[in-house]
Amino acid sequence: MSPLNKKVLIVTGKGGTGKTTAAAALGVWSANQGLNTLLVECNGARSIGSLFDQPPNTYTPQRLRDSLFGMSITSDEAIEDFVIKQIKVRALYSMVFRNRVMGPFMDAVPGLHDAVHLGKVYDLVENEVTNGRPTWDRIIVDAPATGHGLHMLNASRSMMDLTRTGPIHENAKLVHTMTSDRAQTGLIMTCLPEEMPVSETLELNEQLSSAGYSVSAIVLNEMVNAALPDSSTWPDVSAALIADGCSDLVDLVERHCTRGAQQADAQSKLHTTIQAPLFEFPMLLSTELGLPEINRLAEQLNKPVAP
Amino acid sequence: MTAQVIMCCGSGGVGKTTTSAALALAWANAGDRVCVLTVDPAKRLADSLSIGEIGGQPTPISIPDALGTCHAVMLDVKETFEGLIHRFSESTEAAEKILANRYFQFACTKLGGVHEYMAAEKVRELATCGLYDVIVVDTPPTRNALDFLQAPERMANMMDGTVMRWLSASGSRGGWRALELGSEAIGRVLRTLVGQSTIGEIAQFFDLFRHLWSGFQSRSLEVQTLLRASDTRFLLVTTPSPAARSEALFFLEQLKTHQMCFAGFLVNRVESQPQSAASAIPQTGPGEWDTLRTQLTELIALQSKIADAHRRNIRDLAAAGPTNAPTWLIPHQGRPINQMHDLLSLSGWLPARQDLG
Repeated sequence: MSPLNKKVLIVTGKGGTGKTTAAAALGVWSANQGLNTLLVECNGARSIGSLFDQPPNTYTPQRLRDSLFGMSITSDEAIEDFVIKQIKVRALYSMVFRNRVMGPFMDAVPGLHDAVHLGKVYDLVENEVTNGRPTWDRIIVDAPATGHGLHMLNASRSMMDLTRTGPIHENAKLVHTMTSDRAQTGLIMTCLPEEMPVSETLELNEQLSSAGYSVSAIVLNEMVNAALPDSSTWPDVSAALIADGCSDLVDLVERHCTRGAQQADAQSKLHTTIQAPLFEFPMLLSTELGLPEINRLAEQLNKPVAP
Repeated sequence: MTAQVIMCCGSGGVGKTTTSAALALAWANAGDRVCVLTVDPAKRLADSLSIGEIGGQPTPISIPDALGTCHAVMLDVKETFEGLIHRFSESTEAAEKILANRYFQFACTKLGGVHEYMAAEKVRELATCGLYDVIVVDTPPTRNALDFLQAPERMANMMDGTVMRWLSASGSRGGWRALELGSEAIGRVLRTLVGQSTIGEIAQFFDLFRHLWSGFQSRSLEVQTLLRASDTRFLLVTTPSPAARSEALFFLEQLKTHQMCFAGFLVNRVESQPQSAASAIPQTGPGEWDTLRTQLTELIALQSKIADAHRRNIRDLAAAGPTNAPTWLIPHQGRPINQMHDLLSLSGWLPARQDLG
């Protein structure tokens, strides 16, 4: 059973490790199975539309391709949605209320910005129905880079502790149950095969564990496959190359050897410490990330490198 | 004399912290009195610059044979906020009361815009203390450059907005009971959302806080003035990947909209073309030479492809930015950059202070 086979997949990781790329690839992988999949961007990020040659995502889901839709959540829209649904005050919810009351209020209630994102995801999972069936077979969340998704995950807990009663409290409890249910929700962590990203990823994993979450799968990005010279003959070979005036080739080989070692190190450290299946994405050498590249990456999700 | 402020902005993972530190060391070496403010440094970088254990106070960094000086500060949001509360409170007792408030304890680092506000406040503090020529700022990796610039305004809206005035006014009129009697729809909505006691706690905090609000307000105006000063510069740090490019252009748009001074692009980890061609590989040599030749040929081809992709990405970045935008390319060093000598070795590729205008 694939570790990716969950109703909700939350893609998290340090900035620059390829979260959005991984989320898009997961979306395609899921849609390829014929499952109605929704890709969700947070904090008003709108990068995913262009990957599929579509306009930027908005709060209303748009079709990206067959079986795949995309949306972008801002906390303003999510809280408005919530307030209107929960307390039925549409008449009150004017621009004035939004700017002069809800804006400052959201700033003053810590974690509310984060909490409403997963609150909306919960709403989509539980309440969106088409012809009597849940609309979405799978929802993939590209978590915010700031706070590395941890704040977003913890926000429902914070809301529960802070509010103690009321609709936000009740909703936060349900959201927390959803995100803690390992059968329903999977955490996917992205990483790069370099020393600092790996150690920061392991640190993030520790913080997630302490908060009661566990990573379902790891995606290692920007992997390069290159055959390298045999290390036993290399000293002689490099001496010969230097003698022939090709010392830059020696540097090139040693750079790639270092990269190879870092990649192997990343694979083993991540897999052994986090103990989750590991997938790898190759380094892409095109100047644009689009459908052909995303499709290629989606293929990799069928072949875990380390199960 | 106010110091010049150089903001290194960009999305996460592009090497902002490393770049900020490297710029600071390079300029200190060349003769300036520099202070670098970092927000979230990797532990090893903090250790190598000896700022791991220090709070909000500048730590001197000794650079052998430098013509100038360098200090480093790690932002401590809570400490900075508490400092401001002490500064603007009528008395020590008043300050202590706010600091002891449960909501303040819970919320102070999590209030919307607070992190960015305190970073901006710290920049102002450092720029106006008279000890430095230039402040290099490693900005938080928020996607929105606006966050940094708008933070003082946003805090102002939060403190001064209708709802807060209502909350704190109601709170002072008769304690929390007054809130229960209120029939305003606004109050009803908010109470329903988060519950009575939460509103009460928030109200109590803002009731205490509003006494020092005018201090914060004028301070925040000073901070905003500094951020928009004519010699404040924004350096956009990025990498040659397509994803990083679109983030960089998004930042650039923000700077343009707010008429902030864009100093140029600084592109990290740039790969270059191999110098020797495959034809330069000797015909025979030690070991399994045919296999080796094939491997070397493939490596040269791979490096060439990577370097070419980088070149095209950088070209596309420059084309999408303002005409003739200065661009500094920092070659990939092939190893983690954590020690001082590694940071200093980048100096040759970095802009000199006068290059930023």
